[in-house]
Amino acid sequence: MPDIPVGGPPRVPIEFGSLEWEEEVERYGPRSAARAHAQTARKTIEARTAKLDWKRCKADGPGGTKLPGCRKLYVPLSKEGASQAPYGFVFQLIQKPDHSLAWNLIAFGERHPANARTRNVYERAHKRLQGRYP
Amino acid sequence: MATVVKRLDLAIGELVEVAGRRYEVVPDREGGVTIEPPITSAAELHARRGTKPASPDDFERLSADIPFDDEG
Repeated sequence: MPDIPVGGPPRVPIEFGSLEWEEEVERYGPRSAARAHAQTARKTIEARTAKLDWKRCKADGPGGTKLPGCRKLYVPLSKEGASQAPYGFVFQLIQKPDHSLAWNLIAFGERHPANARTRNVYERAHKRLQGRYP
Repeated sequence: MATVVKRLDLAIGELVEVAGRRYEVVPDREGGVTIEPPITSAAELHARRGTKPASPDDFERLSADIPFDDEG
């Protein structure tokens, strides 16, 4: 089912900037599960064939993360629990020079890293938005 | 042969280059610092591209029916 709400606002395009993709997804090894899941999810999103299970990010989230104006998708798409969908994309709503809107990828990563030293996807998104880790 | 330790006086936010790759000095979770591949700030990307964060009104208009969960 396409992600177009009947009678709702017009669909806003989802964009994966090449630099953000490199910094967020290609930091994982070419054969890593994380990278493979991100690539598969991106193909599905760009094909516009699936209903996307969006969730809002919090302006004041756990661990001090501040992600106003952002939404997220869990990866693999259509999975919910952290064990089934261990990764996430975070997107920021942006306005382009022609005044159109887009959801722009700002972070990809683990939702609940097993390694306590690993930054989760929300901390990465916070750093991209706020310039430093919370 | 003894290993020679290179001592670096680095501050959070500085960039270092190791074997041709850039890394940013960031805080670890134990009061120290570590290095990791840099994350280009959204502000810098907006400046390069002529974009900006959408208004809170636009965000609310598009997200009013989107749920939160207990994560970030």
